[in-house]
Amino acid sequence: MNNFLALFLTLRWQDIIDILLVSYIVFRFYILIRGTNVFRVLIGIAFLWFFHRIAVFLGFIVTSWAIQGIMAVAALIIIVVFRNEIRSVLQAKNVKALLWNYPHKMVETPVDIIAESAYELAQLRSGGLIVLPGKDNLQEVLHSGIPWGGLVSKEMIVSIFWPDNPVHDGAAIIKGNRVEEAGVVLPLSRRKDLPSYYGTRHRAAAGLAEATDALVIVISEERGDVTVALGSSMRVVKRKGDLGRILHDHTGVPLGQAGYRRKQKLELCTAALASVLFITGVWFTFARGLDTLITFETPVEYINRDPAIEISDTSVNDVRLHLSGSDALIKSIRPEQVKVRLDLSRSVVGPNTFSIAQKNISLPPGVFLKKVEPSSVTVILDHVKRKEVPVQIDWAGKLPEGLILSEARLDPEKAELIGGQQILKNISTVYTEQVSLSTIQKSGTMTVKLVLNPASLIISPNSSDKVTIEYIVKTRDQ
Amino acid sequence: MRLKLLTFLFGLFCVNVFLPWGALSQEKGERPTAPVSRQLSLVQAVMCEEIKDHAPHNQAIVFSVTNGSTSCFTSFDPVPKKTYIYHNWFYRDKLTARIKLFLRPPRWSIFSRIQLREADKGPWRVEITDRKGALFCIVRFSITD
Repeated sequence: MNNFLALFLTLRWQDIIDILLVSYIVFRFYILIRGTNVFRVLIGIAFLWFFHRIAVFLGFIVTSWAIQGIMAVAALIIIVVFRNEIRSVLQAKNVKALLWNYPHKMVETPVDIIAESAYELAQLRSGGLIVLPGKDNLQEVLHSGIPWGGLVSKEMIVSIFWPDNPVHDGAAIIKGNRVEEAGVVLPLSRRKDLPSYYGTRHRAAAGLAEATDALVIVISEERGDVTVALGSSMRVVKRKGDLGRILHDHTGVPLGQAGYRRKQKLELCTAALASVLFITGVWFTFARGLDTLITFETPVEYINRDPAIEISDTSVNDVRLHLSGSDALIKSIRPEQVKVRLDLSRSVVGPNTFSIAQKNISLPPGVFLKKVEPSSVTVILDHVKRKEVPVQIDWAGKLPEGLILSEARLDPEKAELIGGQQILKNISTVYTEQVSLSTIQKSGTMTVKLVLNPASLIISPNSSDKVTIEYIVKTRDQ
Repeated sequence: MRLKLLTFLFGLFCVNVFLPWGALSQEKGERPTAPVSRQLSLVQAVMCEEIKDHAPHNQAIVFSVTNGSTSCFTSFDPVPKKTYIYHNWFYRDKLTARIKLFLRPPRWSIFSRIQLREADKGPWRVEITDRKGALFCIVRFSITD
């Protein structure tokens, strides 16, 4: 218990924000996909992962391998099969909708008006087909709809299915409190067990209900009854109240609005709490689990150097950092995340010794510094100067027998170098790269590069980094 | 008569003073015809494989380590008075030998030599300076395979 408390007491404010941020992201993700098939499949994959871990723990080789394969394919399947759902989630109208809004499951669908309309049509012996979509996207199974966009009212529904109305033969799609489309053609069911007196309208209702999670109300013009198709079931509803209850259940709108809001708030609070608990667990697993030590060798970077001053030498180029952290974090460290920086803004020409402290080291979050080797670095700074020095050829190899290289002329004969004053003081010649003698048979010319040593020296823009050698070969006097 | 005596004595003085110095000179080069400068002056500085008959033989800028040695030959004209110079041998930029060489008037040729080893391969130079370190000339060469 004390250890548990100690673990919480070591939390930094950054850690708390970290947990809350990711928890909110998970919570928002849940809000956006709840009720869709994607959510159900994700839960399935979570279970698969859980069983996979158990299989691995118990040493079930083939089982763990098979589950791993299924999970890999499942990720692909989610993207392909549920592309419409994912698109509808991501195609939020604005950033606020994506980050803040809480979409209510059903926006005040006037179920009582719909029920009343259905029985009004039945009484008038006017056929009707009303669709109340669930969570599934119906766009792929519906055809030829005419956009309507009118607020639901009994008069409107009755008028849509009035026999003289051009769209009366199709279905009306009701989303929320609006008739979105009318005259929609639904897919026909191919079931053989449907009653023989069911006509095209009933088969269309059955076809859509089988293919999706939509609820379809069919009003028969011959018999004047109201049938509800949901999933694979089709049943005649005799009373208006029963139809109202069925519609309430389908749309998720409870009979009492206060109770509905309370239930929704409870659901959201539970989801938020679950998100925080889940991410806290993940965070502790990553950040505090399995403390691991590692030695990391990283170069020292120098910042804020006066342009007129140059680093002529350093006691070390790399330092060894002893780091600790959770196994997962330590393994995921990339070299560019670890930096040792020394500020040269207050340094002077000559030797400067810097102690490497925590403030000089940047580490990824959750990784801690245990020790630095060496703990200090000496940097020798020097004024940047220019110096013109003669060029000398660095001949190598062996001339063919009987020949003598008697003379060589260089163009240019000198090169201007830029570097630290102390370094340039000891430089009196700049050498060419090694020039092979073995291929030389007679007098000629060649162009070679200059080699700078130490590498901190550079050739002035006024000078060339190449020289042309004109050499003269003679026969050896015996 | 007195004029003849004076002319004879002057001729005898010239023979006694100038002839011995010229005979002792080791230089085989031509006697300069230009008016003699009274300042020590370097007229030749070369690297060669060996010295033969007081002269550089097989002058070159590259020497094989298999030769065993290499020489720096220098010739001064005039040499106003007895003095000495230095041959400073540098391997890359590191001074490896400082050889003091004496000169005698009126002109003098002299050389220094180093023995070559495997470790000596690379670029060399010889800086020729006077007794006070003033630089006459730099001769550059390489020791190779």
